[in-house]
Amino acid sequence: MEHFYLKVFRYDPTKDEQPYYKTYKLPVEKGMTVLAALFKVKETQDPSISFRYNCRAAICGSCSMKINGHGTLACKEQVTKLLEKYNTDTIVVEPIGNVKPLKDLIFDFDWLLEKFKQVKPWFIPKEPPPADGTEYRQDPYDHHKIDFASDCILCASCVSECNALKANKDYLSPFVLAKAYRFAADSRDGARRERLEAVLDHFNLEWCVRCWQCTTNCPKEVQPYESIIRLRIIAAEEGYKTPGERHAEIFEKDIKERGLLNEMLLPIRQEGVLGAVKRAPFGIKMFFKGKVNIADFFGGHKVKRHEEVEKIYEKAKEKEKEVKIRIPQILGVVYEDKRKTRKRANFLDKGGNE
Amino acid sequence: MAELKYAFYTGCSAKGVAPELYNSTYLVAEKLGMELIELEAATCCGAGAVQEKDEFLSLTINARNLALAEELGLDLLTICNTCTVMLRETKFKLDNDPELKKAVNEVLAEAGLEYKGTSEVTHFLWEVIDGVGLDKLKEMVVRPLKDFNIAPFYGCHIIRPVYLIGYEDPDNPKSIEMIIEALGGNPKDHEARLACCGFHSFWSAEDEVTLRLTAMDTEAAKEEKADFMVTPCPLCHTQLDAMQEEAEERIGTNIGMPILHLPQMIGLALGMNPEELGLQKHVISTENIINKITASV
Ligand code: SF4
Ligand code: SF4
Ligand code: FES
Repeated sequence: MEHFYLKVFRYDPTKDEQPYYKTYKLPVEKGMTVLAALFKVKETQDPSISFRYNCRAAICGSCSMKINGHGTLACKEQVTKLLEKYNTDTIVVEPIGNVKPLKDLIFDFDWLLEKFKQVKPWFIPKEPPPADGTEYRQDPYDHHKIDFASDCILCASCVSECNALKANKDYLSPFVLAKAYRFAADSRDGARRERLEAVLDHFNLEWCVRCWQCTTNCPKEVQPYESIIRLRIIAAEEGYKTPGERHAEIFEKDIKERGLLNEMLLPIRQEGVLGAVKRAPFGIKMFFKGKVNIADFFGGHKVKRHEEVEKIYEKAKEKEKEVKIRIPQILGVVYEDKRKTRKRANFLDKGGNE
Repeated sequence: MAELKYAFYTGCSAKGVAPELYNSTYLVAEKLGMELIELEAATCCGAGAVQEKDEFLSLTINARNLALAEELGLDLLTICNTCTVMLRETKFKLDNDPELKKAVNEVLAEAGLEYKGTSEVTHFLWEVIDGVGLDKLKEMVVRPLKDFNIAPFYGCHIIRPVYLIGYEDPDNPKSIEMIIEALGGNPKDHEARLACCGFHSFWSAEDEVTLRLTAMDTEAAKEEKADFMVTPCPLCHTQLDAMQEEAEERIGTNIGMPILHLPQMIGLALGMNPEELGLQKHVISTENIINKITASV
């Protein structure tokens, strides 16, 4: 391929009623990034295009935009790789999704910043620094737990296709929750409950639909999804009762008592009698469609060899306190072939201050 | 050709709210020459919920599920996206962390079990492509789906996260399209192809999040004039089919988008009768599909 097309989202609220797309033809150059392609257009074809950038090295987080439907950094994505990946001759660039576009590829970051402030994204020490003048110290395992969430560059790529945010603009957003986790889980931090309350107040933790899109988009391997799950775990440990906590209890009880989840009895157990009444039409609908078994309304059956599960349950409960579960750290893409792209992950820390 | 024999992990949904998926999987698998040995002693995967309450317990419970497949010396085959990701996550963690594996095995030993790490976790979707093969699938088609515009709905956990799933590019997966094309159908690109059905926040944010997503997803398929959506996940199916009317109510429009399970779609092209595939069990009427398919013979 000698040429490709850069299809750019254009919008200037001072003169355009509606956003529109303008397509530019460019030569394919080896190693050219999408950011470089935008510069080329600006220099040779259309000086009016607006976009943000700074470091050109995937460090500052300024150049995030939606490229062929996915939030990412324009200075990180190479044109030739994208053309191959999407099997196309056109690269579509738009502002990050879920956020208001301001001008061309520039979006309203202030809105996100307001959300960010709510979780107090700074360190609030539990104790005064050591008297001998050294720095705050941390156990390596404690550090491991927050290491992956510490590298955020505030680019908002994770925000672009967040499904919870797509459904509801009150959702705090993945990177905001990742930051809340990063401090709430820090063994040196003194404001854990305050931070948890800030996110639980909005029930924002529970809105996350577990889609893993944020983690997939993040160019810095921050893992906002994992952070949200860890925040939920911490909230449960701190004794906060949330719908998610109740839900988890039901699951666990079902596994212990029969092995499988009883979906038909979920409403009454989750939401009590009122909930069951609210859901009754649904249960009846499912029953008449021949989808559910009448036995399920009375508890259902046990899986085979269930006694094994009971033994495992007891023993696991006894042992859980002494087990240190490590969080996989994603370490970039290692191999790509026709249908398989897998990011490498392992349990090694990425280095850092320990 | 390698023998297509699997330890079959049904998951709770196919046993509970989606019996038509359970039945159609068996019918289609048999036709495709796949042998399924059901893991009747397997438990729920925890669906992420137990993981939050009790991480270690959920790892051991899933290690037991994996050990059951290892007992048979077979790879474990799922028909649910969330089961796939939960089991693969357990396997990933145990295979990469010897200390954790040891701790888990000490617990499993109580029940006379051991997790070794010898069975892979795979999904029906992938085995149709890599096990059966698209060429063979194509040859077996007796009723090409040429009159159908089909909107694929992947569901999150069959493409993300890459480090656990890694079967295909999460930004631009093609496996469902490849199957649709092999069956002679027309895959339709749409806004919600890679979106989330909302299922996992149903109990905590039904109005705030879940039903809104369900409505957006089904509307996106409607906008592209799809005859139906197809999904490899029973949770997506329950959400998009059984909760679609609720979603319509909240937003005040009529969508009426039929949702098919992957094996049901394959079964139709292989000439099976819509009733034995359980199409009448769906909440959103599949009548148009049934009429079209019977007329096409
Ligand atoms: S996993 Fe949660 S936070 Fe991340 S993109 Fe999905 S809904 Fe948003
Ligand atoms: S979490 Fe990742 S994608 Fe999101 S703002 Fe931070 S660096 Fe960017
Ligand atoms: S220009 Fe700094 S991250 Fe791209």
